[in-house]
Amino acid sequence: MVDLEKMRTIAKETVSRDDVRYLIGWRQGTYGFRVSPHFMKGPEEAEKLIFSPLCSNNLATYLTLTEKLPVPRGEQPDSRKIAVMVKGCDSRAVVQQLIEKGIERERVFVIGCPCEGVLDLKKVEEKFPGILSPVEVEWSGDKIIFTLPDGVKEVPKGEVLAKKCLSCRYPNPVMSDITLWDEVKSLGDGNYEDVKEMEEKNPQEKWSFWKDKFSSCIRCYSCRNVCPMCYCEDCVLDRLNPQWINRSANISENSAFQLARAFHLAGRCIECGECERVCPVDIPLMALNRKLAKEVREQYEFEPGLDPESKPFQSSYRPNDKEDFIL
Amino acid sequence: MSEQFQPNVVAFLCNWCSYAGADLAGTSRIKYPHNLNVIRVMCSGRVNPLFVINAFQQGADGVLISGCHPGDCHYMEGNFYARRRFSLMNELLEYVGVEPGRFNMSWVSASEGAKWKDVVAGVVEKAKEAGPFDQFRRNKINW
Amino acid sequence: MNNKPKIGVYVCHCGVNISKMVDVDAVTEFASHLPNVKVVRNYSYMCSDPGQLLMREDIKNEGLNRVVVASCSPRMHEMTFRKTLAAAGLNPYFLEMANIREQCSWVHEDREDATGKAKKIVSSAVAKVRLLEALYESEVNVEPATLIIGAGIAGIQAALDIANAGFKVYLVEKSPSVGGKMSQLDKTFPTLDCSACILTPKMVDVAAHPNIELMTYSKVEEITGYVGNFQVKVRKKARYVDMDKCTSCGVCAEECRLAGRIPSEFNENMGKRSAIYLPFPQAVPAKYTIDPERCLFLTRGKCGKSPKCVDACLAGAVNFEQQDEIAEFKVGTVIVATGYDVFDAAKKPEYGYAEYENVITGLELERLVSASGPTGGDILIGKGENAFVPKEIAFIKCVGSRDKSVGNEYCSRVCCMYTAKLAHLVGEKIPDANVRVYYMDVRAFGKGFEEFYDRVRREGVRYIRGNPSEIFKRGDKLVVKVEDTLTATPLEDEVDLVVLAVGLEPRKDVREVIDLLRLSQSSDKFFLEAHPKLAPVDTATDGVFLAGCAQGPKDIPDTVAQAKGAASSALVLLSSGKVKIGAQISFVNEATCRGCGYCVDICPYGAIELVEINRMGNILSVARVNDALCKGCGACAAGCLSGSVQQRSFMDRQILPQIAVLGVMR
Repeated sequence: MVDLEKMRTIAKETVSRDDVRYLIGWRQGTYGFRVSPHFMKGPEEAEKLIFSPLCSNNLATYLTLTEKLPVPRGEQPDSRKIAVMVKGCDSRAVVQQLIEKGIERERVFVIGCPCEGVLDLKKVEEKFPGILSPVEVEWSGDKIIFTLPDGVKEVPKGEVLAKKCLSCRYPNPVMSDITLWDEVKSLGDGNYEDVKEMEEKNPQEKWSFWKDKFSSCIRCYSCRNVCPMCYCEDCVLDRLNPQWINRSANISENSAFQLARAFHLAGRCIECGECERVCPVDIPLMALNRKLAKEVREQYEFEPGLDPESKPFQSSYRPNDKEDFIL
Repeated sequence: MSEQFQPNVVAFLCNWCSYAGADLAGTSRIKYPHNLNVIRVMCSGRVNPLFVINAFQQGADGVLISGCHPGDCHYMEGNFYARRRFSLMNELLEYVGVEPGRFNMSWVSASEGAKWKDVVAGVVEKAKEAGPFDQFRRNKINW
Repeated sequence: MNNKPKIGVYVCHCGVNISKMVDVDAVTEFASHLPNVKVVRNYSYMCSDPGQLLMREDIKNEGLNRVVVASCSPRMHEMTFRKTLAAAGLNPYFLEMANIREQCSWVHEDREDATGKAKKIVSSAVAKVRLLEALYESEVNVEPATLIIGAGIAGIQAALDIANAGFKVYLVEKSPSVGGKMSQLDKTFPTLDCSACILTPKMVDVAAHPNIELMTYSKVEEITGYVGNFQVKVRKKARYVDMDKCTSCGVCAEECRLAGRIPSEFNENMGKRSAIYLPFPQAVPAKYTIDPERCLFLTRGKCGKSPKCVDACLAGAVNFEQQDEIAEFKVGTVIVATGYDVFDAAKKPEYGYAEYENVITGLELERLVSASGPTGGDILIGKGENAFVPKEIAFIKCVGSRDKSVGNEYCSRVCCMYTAKLAHLVGEKIPDANVRVYYMDVRAFGKGFEEFYDRVRREGVRYIRGNPSEIFKRGDKLVVKVEDTLTATPLEDEVDLVVLAVGLEPRKDVREVIDLLRLSQSSDKFFLEAHPKLAPVDTATDGVFLAGCAQGPKDIPDTVAQAKGAASSALVLLSSGKVKIGAQISFVNEATCRGCGYCVDICPYGAIELVEINRMGNILSVARVNDALCKGCGACAAGCLSGSVQQRSFMDRQILPQIAVLGVMR
């Protein structure tokens, strides 16, 4: 059970530690169902922390974005830890970042928040449109309880949870320094029914689906920027020399961008769904990522973001990897 | 385009096996279709998967990656990495509706001039069947 | 220097090889319109002296700074034309070959199609050559010394050859004595030379050679660096005996409280030794060693009132205070001669090796027939009063070889002949013995082998074709259950002694050597040579060579030949004193590298490592390529997500224009 008091107490203790620089958690956003990341530097900010079905943001993203400002001569760089609150999926991002040496273990303090699933805001805003004042939302068994300006509403989970949560196998952090409350049961078996459905279609059907989606891409790069695994300081996909992909937004460049983006995540995507959540034009990006995740899992028995000691998928091979596609 | 569609296939060949195999087909005067053009790299492991996407963007109707047979890589392991990368690239391309047969990978050794011919003929034939690739080809290509 | 590309395109007719199928004039005309192309010429043989002269003069007179040669395969003449460029004062890597012969004129039948394709190939080369960069080969010095790991016959031979050529050798042996498996053999096939007689002089030579630093009872702990410059760290284990004082009189071993109680490894555990011991009488160095796992004083801290060996040694050589020593040195080349293990016959339980004392291995019989063996050369089976001389003796071949069920598909190459040799020796020692050999095939392929096999059969050894299915006890006898497959007769052969001709396997500690040198294994788990035919003693790591059974089963002549081959390969580097480092290798753009280490994992040569750099006071980890180790495969470049690792002459930005040209031209 979510215990906000405990969460805030631990957060206070954590930020008060000498070896912690700040803590990243969630707080109520500016309006409606929105939630913002909360960068907490002192214990007095603990009261703002929340954890609710609205906390979909994967805060692990911010770990690799920490700005490395020039260090004045004679001073040491700040080597204090950054504390981060993670759901199950977020924790896999942390693990994958450790595997890829994006962060160092001794520089993070991971606070685990077992999670019963977060909301798909598109579904929620459709159900309760036009709400601008902040809303409180809670888990309650297989229901979600909304405290709206016009009263309390109960909605079955299945109607409002994000799709990724309905089949989530890792609701509990796979790695943490402290876990805030009891573990929860996983909701799904991580099946890939949606991917299989797409695979069944013929090439024309597949392309007409994706053409429609890719055409609408405005190349805002939100998907990339929010992704906890995309943290190259200089992304090849918008580099000018060599220019892999032109900057104009059209079906050719958009498709190439989306395919390349998905491919770069092969064996790395931990399926937090942030890319799809932030996409302003509703491209089902997870359908691409999950296709590759499915192949990686089924053909290579590999899952990213579980074991910090494991070798990255893309920099390893097995001599007997499948090769039935080779002439 | 008057008669039959002539596809355009871009191939990436490793220097030690497949490029040598293609050379051998030449020295043996084995004939095969002219629709495939080769970019030589030192190892199939050098082929960046994004080259494939780029080739389709730039006008290729088909793409072929060819390297040494497993265990024969001049650099010991390069083709193993290539195999893993392009297996997934193959899946990804088919998943978004690029016709099966447009993307190909083969193992051709330095002694397999005849196999090289079969590979080229097969890949060109498949590209011919699939027709001009227009899913995400660039409209204007500069180089 | 003005960097704007000025390209010369040279189209070759190659006699009629190209011009017959490709309209060379049309290609020339076409190429003249390509961007940055200043000069286009065609000529009957570009590779001829006049052809090359044409190029050289244009480079000088027209100020060309890039050259495309449209002719044959780069595998044929790239080197030729690089030299042409260099001779004209141009960097040789400003060259791109357009292969319009092997991959165009020779494989197409329609002149128009072939000409069209030739134009594309030339365009692609022009697109790339514009972006090529000047590259420089570098050289590193070679440390004039070699490390040889393993002092069996392979290591000994290689050490002697290199030392005799005047170079320093560090010969490191794990066990207390040099000599390896060969020292355990009695006679050698097919000439029946006494093994010790031919080996011991060489053993003495390596110990005495002024250019060889012998380190026995030592272990290589670490090798870093690259060809020409390997840093080696060796642990010399404490012998607890002062090498300078020990006179090898042997009184200590006689006095040792454990004398005659510890199985002797040299005698395949059949004889006994003391805790302070000389592995065998001819051991080199002839210095005693205390077995730290057995010695009472070392394991329990107490050996009676005082250790007997200490009291017995008049030279005062025993020193329990001795510590391991670490030796560090630099070498230019490494030879791996770590040898083999014999197959563990207990892995074939149907043969009862672990159960019956009269089922023994070939190597055990070797010790029994040896005059220096536990029985003084008598073939006695069993212990004490029960010991007997076997009369009915069966050999079984291919035990642990050519056998998928134990994971060894390969032929061990020596068992056929050592079986024949042992069968002969048994006949010498026990004239009334009946000897038969159960075999799958007889492989007598070497010089004098077939003749020897014939001789042994003429001496009365029966060869019965069949692979025994089982061995069990009946009364005093062992029963070999087998089908004679030539007559299709099932047999139950009653014998006194079964000798298993066990095969050769990679050493159990092979992993340690792999980790030291990042060697690869072939499917049989022996070390993988760089090329099975043309580089059989080389490995994928430059400067590291293989000798002897570490690379695969071999008999003594082959081992010695390979050792000499490895020595000669090492000497090529040592005597030239320099080694060239390729130019088309990878490099890292540290500004964009995210330090994920993918390239480090991918590199088959361990050429890339993560290093810490200081960027404006922040410590960051980035990849860095060791030029001397990189072989230029480019696998790192394809695996780098940020495009920070690139391979020179095959950079993304050089290949992408090629793709564009080939894509856009129909």
